[in-house]
Amino acid sequence: MASFGRLIRLAFGACALLLVIMAAPASAQQVNPTASSVKEQQLLQELNRIQGRVSIPDQRSGVLEQPQGREWREFRNVTLRWIGGVAIIGMLAVLVIFYLTRGMVRLESGRSGRTIVRFTLFERFVHWMTATCFIILAISGLNITFGRPLLLPLIGFEAFSEWSQWAKYAHNYLSFPFTIGVILIFLMWIAGNLPNKVDVAWIKRGGGIVGHDHPPAYRFNAGQKMIYWIVVIGGGLVAATGYALMFPFYMSGIEGMQMAQIIHSVVAVLFVAAMIAHIYIGTIGMEGAFEAMGSGEVDLNWAREHHSLWLDEEMARTGPNDQTPQPATAAAE
Amino acid sequence: MARMKFLCDADRCIECNACVTACKNEHEVPWGINRRRVVTINDGKPGERSVTMACMHCTDAPCAAVCPVNCFYTTADGVVLHSKDLCIGCGYCFYACPFGAPQYPKVGNFGSRGKMDKCTYCAGGPEADGSREEYEKYGANRLAEGKLPLCAEMCSTKSLLAGDGEIIAQIYKERVMKRGYGSGAWGWKTAYRETIES
Amino acid sequence: MLIRRTERQSGSDRRGSIADSLASQTSGLDRRAFLRRSGLAGGALAALGAMPISGVRKAEAAAAGPLTAGATVKKNICTHCAVGCTVTAEVSNGVWIGQEPSWDSPINRGSHCAKGASVRELVHSERRLRYPMKLVNGQWARVAWETAINEIGDKMLEVREKSGPDSVYWLGSAKMTNEGAYLFRKLGAFWGTNNTDHQARICHSTTVTGVANTWGYGAMTNSYNDIRNAKTQMIMGGNPAEAHPVSLQHLLEGKELQHANFIVIDPRMTRTAAHATEYVRMRPGTDIPVLYGMMWHILKNGWEDKEFIQQRVYGFEDLRKEVEKWTPEEVERVSGVPGEQLKRVAKMFATEKPATLIWAMGQTQKTVGTANVRASCIALLMTGNVGKAGAGANIFRGHDNVQGATDVGLDIVTLPFYYGLAEGAWKHWSRVWEVDYEFLKSRFDSKQIMETPGIPLTRWFEAVTLPKDQVAQKDNVRAVFVQGHASNSITRIPESLKGLKALDLLVIADPHPTTWASLAVEAGRKDGVYILPVATQFECKGSRVASNRSLQWGEQIVKPIFESKDDLEVIYLMAKKLGFADQMFRKIKVENNLPEAEDVLREMNRGSWSTGYCGQSPERLKAHMKNQAKFDMLTMRAPKDDPEVGGDYYGLPWPCWGSPEVKHPGTPLLYNTNLAVMDGGGTFRPRFGIEREEKLPDGSTRKVSLLADKSYSKDSEIQDGYPEFTLASLKKLGWDTDLTEAEMATIMKVNPTNPDSVSWSLDLSGGIQRVALKHGCVPYGNGKARMNAFGLPDPIPVHREPIYTPRVDLVEKYPTLPDAKQFRMPNIGFSVQKAAVEKGIAKQFPLILSSGRLVEYEGGGEETRTNPWLAELQQDMFIEINPADASDRGVKDGGWVWVTGAENNSRARMKALVTERVGKGVAWMPFHFGGWLAGKDLRGAYPKGTDPIVLGESANTITTYGYDPATGMQEPKVTLCQIAAA
Repeated sequence: MASFGRLIRLAFGACALLLVIMAAPASAQQVNPTASSVKEQQLLQELNRIQGRVSIPDQRSGVLEQPQGREWREFRNVTLRWIGGVAIIGMLAVLVIFYLTRGMVRLESGRSGRTIVRFTLFERFVHWMTATCFIILAISGLNITFGRPLLLPLIGFEAFSEWSQWAKYAHNYLSFPFTIGVILIFLMWIAGNLPNKVDVAWIKRGGGIVGHDHPPAYRFNAGQKMIYWIVVIGGGLVAATGYALMFPFYMSGIEGMQMAQIIHSVVAVLFVAAMIAHIYIGTIGMEGAFEAMGSGEVDLNWAREHHSLWLDEEMARTGPNDQTPQPATAAAE
Repeated sequence: MARMKFLCDADRCIECNACVTACKNEHEVPWGINRRRVVTINDGKPGERSVTMACMHCTDAPCAAVCPVNCFYTTADGVVLHSKDLCIGCGYCFYACPFGAPQYPKVGNFGSRGKMDKCTYCAGGPEADGSREEYEKYGANRLAEGKLPLCAEMCSTKSLLAGDGEIIAQIYKERVMKRGYGSGAWGWKTAYRETIES
Repeated sequence: MLIRRTERQSGSDRRGSIADSLASQTSGLDRRAFLRRSGLAGGALAALGAMPISGVRKAEAAAAGPLTAGATVKKNICTHCAVGCTVTAEVSNGVWIGQEPSWDSPINRGSHCAKGASVRELVHSERRLRYPMKLVNGQWARVAWETAINEIGDKMLEVREKSGPDSVYWLGSAKMTNEGAYLFRKLGAFWGTNNTDHQARICHSTTVTGVANTWGYGAMTNSYNDIRNAKTQMIMGGNPAEAHPVSLQHLLEGKELQHANFIVIDPRMTRTAAHATEYVRMRPGTDIPVLYGMMWHILKNGWEDKEFIQQRVYGFEDLRKEVEKWTPEEVERVSGVPGEQLKRVAKMFATEKPATLIWAMGQTQKTVGTANVRASCIALLMTGNVGKAGAGANIFRGHDNVQGATDVGLDIVTLPFYYGLAEGAWKHWSRVWEVDYEFLKSRFDSKQIMETPGIPLTRWFEAVTLPKDQVAQKDNVRAVFVQGHASNSITRIPESLKGLKALDLLVIADPHPTTWASLAVEAGRKDGVYILPVATQFECKGSRVASNRSLQWGEQIVKPIFESKDDLEVIYLMAKKLGFADQMFRKIKVENNLPEAEDVLREMNRGSWSTGYCGQSPERLKAHMKNQAKFDMLTMRAPKDDPEVGGDYYGLPWPCWGSPEVKHPGTPLLYNTNLAVMDGGGTFRPRFGIEREEKLPDGSTRKVSLLADKSYSKDSEIQDGYPEFTLASLKKLGWDTDLTEAEMATIMKVNPTNPDSVSWSLDLSGGIQRVALKHGCVPYGNGKARMNAFGLPDPIPVHREPIYTPRVDLVEKYPTLPDAKQFRMPNIGFSVQKAAVEKGIAKQFPLILSSGRLVEYEGGGEETRTNPWLAELQQDMFIEINPADASDRGVKDGGWVWVTGAENNSRARMKALVTERVGKGVAWMPFHFGGWLAGKDLRGAYPKGTDPIVLGESANTITTYGYDPATGMQEPKVTLCQIAAA
């Protein structure tokens, strides 16, 4: 909306300029550069930005003034901290309340002792690679927004800068495996994550989180699909905007970079909040869930309760795994 | 207490770039880092004005506000300085700065930013005044020697003024009054949230 | 050993340690200094007392360090234009560690431009020439100085033996000190040739000739500072904002304080025009129509200064006839300037006085350059705007010592100080030099060639390549010795390559290899080229003349770097090798092959009576530099009671009459009758006879006096016009008794047979001058300025279309002058113009091409393009093109284009700068670039490590034929070109 207003101002300014130009010949060739000189305040009011010509190759330095940096400052120092704070602390609060009221979702029928492969080694590798990167990216990223008020007073300037410097390097370098991870996740699991009718029913029944309902689901239920798309779209957005910031001015000018930072940071904090929920469900939130990414094999009963349609498909294709069930706790550490 | 400011009288600026090379000379600023630059608005048209711009040492400086590691500080003279030891080269100050003042050497990974460099108002940095370390990181400390920034001191037409805000505002005001025109104290309102009434 | 500032040991660091700085803590800034540093002194603030001082105490308290711990301060003069800015250098352990503002200089008052603020880098540049080199089999190889001088000298003597002394061309420099330029001219004289030239040829040769032919001396009449007094400033053919930035301090402050009209007449909307109160766009090459168009309005409305014209001007009626042809309609048809606008400008110029006319290369670099500047002078004379504060011809010169080098005669038409080349002049200088006239004569091929002007540098390559019978000397030029001159400043580069190839010997003496070196290699040379490393002027001492005629003494800041040598030493070594050092340096002290600059100046003082360089002794000049702060900014005068410089004008602007003991204060404004001569007053110089026989319409003749009519300088005892002073005229006035015995004895020695004929300019005792001054008279006389400058090709300026003009329809009515032989060379401009019209060149090349200066670079630009602080600011050669022309051609701003020229199938590749600075149909290029040719990068042709950081196409690859008949000036300001997207 701000940009729309700017557009109007721009159009208005252009009209005014045109009028001046058209009026000039009327006054009989009077060319008085001193009297017709540009005025700073007029330019600022019309365009909210003053740009001109510079001889050095760095053309971005032709922007003389761009006071909209102020709006960005307001966003970064106030808005973002609120969004991030509310999203993350809010999510944590919700989860704590949920855990306290609902507790861990148990395997209602107990373990069958028989397992079925849910995720291959490759799938798990990709997941954990992305997850590890994400956690470091998240912490180093949150540090940029929240470190100064929260951490700096505790550890002092030097230590905080040292840590932030390393965090910045980590943030920059780990963006690459993270991006690759997001792309692989997208390709790997796209087939199972296209929304279908089952998801509607699943959502209507609240995913079975409250009470003891077990709505049927294929390999990925609607909740997981949601996480999938959050990862793909959110990951895509943070990666794209992140690179725009990492390689300054390759893609856009200063406004673009401000916008990129806004998208990057907002998406990132929401992403973090979503991932906290994801981690919760995958660990203490649901019995037997972790094994899927831990050992890669889940108990048949778990599969039946949470992904009945998928189990049916798998059973029809291969039959259950005959191996002895593996203890799934080792990988949880 | 003085409040040091810059003021560019665009009706005097002729884009001679003395301020730019004086800065390079005084601080031996490397190629590609432009602590100060001259921008020409409406180039080639009647009404054209050139303006020299560097860090304006803003009141309530946006760079300082957004810095994730809080590496900026304001001296008793109102000069906004930063510590290169603390700076992590994140680029946030550049997004916030209305004047495009922060500069980053292309070092390290991906040709991206090294530690930020900007106009110091010829006042060095956190190191001891006049020390070798200070010179190497930030350049000369003229203020400590009782001198003003060289860019303004060497300005060919006395267009760029540096000094206590009240004094240079007064000079500008009287100039405008005397000659009867003025295209504005460029950047003044944005940087210091005040205008010079004449 | 060269130490860069960043590598200094902290012990010698000017910033010192904190302990050091505390130990020697000073109070820092006093209040005055603070206000000055705050820009107050430059401001319009009237009442210092009214200033709030709240900020000051802080600055005092903040002063923690010593200004310069352990560093010494040296003053020299910036080498990048003729404004004459003082450079203040801090030197520590022989290293130039910093520059400080030169607050005390009344000229620059602390300021610099981009170039001046970065001169320190020139000296310590890592890309400078380090040792002599020669081209061996196409490769640059190091040689020792001794070997180089020996081989060069042997080759020259061989050329001399075969082809005579005129076959060696001595190209000197406006960058040399007076002492260097003077010795270089003297070297030419002792070698036996008048082929000694320098940049003034391609810069203000037309000004010098045109202006001197109008009123006596070819120099800026007033000063930069004095422009502050003008009510109307008119800049026509100049862009001082880029070419002379510090002058704008005076111009703009003058504009503000006086509420002055600031008129800029230029084809280009320049950075100067941006500050105009009236901008007039004209077609390049129509200066005379525009000026006559103004005069038409002036005469029609009776705005001319009738009394001034009657008393002090000759030839007004002849001029009126020419002006009457230039009706507003015709002016608009030819120049494109509307009559109404010109009327307004004319009225301001004629009635809002004092008005000054400022010009530079825009008027001079044309085939009609001399006529252009004459028309400008005439406009000033018509309105009575000469010889007054705030008025005058303020001619901005381009090199730090181009005025001085011209004065000291580094020129093809004269010996030092405009004595000319006639026998009397040679005899005068042989007396000053204390050598036998016959010896000098014996050095030349003949007495006739000794008294014939040499070849202008603009034609050097044709002097090499034209058939022998077309070059009016014994043989073609076969060797060129160039000391401090760019080759890419000279038009027609493709032609010059032929000359470079054909030479037997090329010697380049310079701090940088210059395009002489790279183009010589490109031309296909494999040997016969030597490069001698010469020190910059910051490593030398000596005097230099700013545009306003002030002499300033520069101190040596650091010793010559690497193996480079002072100009003076190079000249001495050449003279020694060529076998006449003893005669040439008879009266000059030489130590370790280095002539002492002070002693050279003293010799000049002894011989320069004609121009008034006789009073500026080294001692006086040094006192001025030491006491800079004492001179008033506006009048440039020191208080009368000062013990050292009392009453002097800053830099003793010439003419500074009499011997130093006479204590003439210098002449800040030429021809100013409102002051007594001993206070710097003067009159127009009757240099062209005292009367003239004029033909009347009925066929009879009458004699008209060329002396002033009832006009005289203040306190003059002769209250009318008078001719120059001789012993005879002193006798007639009864003033000869004022001469001392010693003076009389000297006069007798000057001309024992006819002492009465000894004049003010030949009297080596200075007695005649002293006596004239005593009686309030100007030694050279009191004459009229000439609107009709009989003797010039066009006595009354006449508009002539450029050789290559887009307006072929005007060529018939306004053709260039017929072909003729000038300066030993044919000038076939008329044939070239005719052929261009017939061949339809203007259709093929429809855009007018002009050229000019950028603030970051100077001249050929090799030196400044080597300076990273400057080079960073202009990294690409470009051509300015109007948006309309660009869109017709599909040319984009910043995109590459090919520019093609009208001769030699010339072409050049550069970037387009699409801008309304230029009007439709006009393109403009900066002339500082070099190192590319027709799209080819010649970086490899430079000796390794000495290539400038920025290279680019030279504007002069595209420029074309065209030479002013009076001076041999080239025509780089108007030609034709075509532009196509690359």
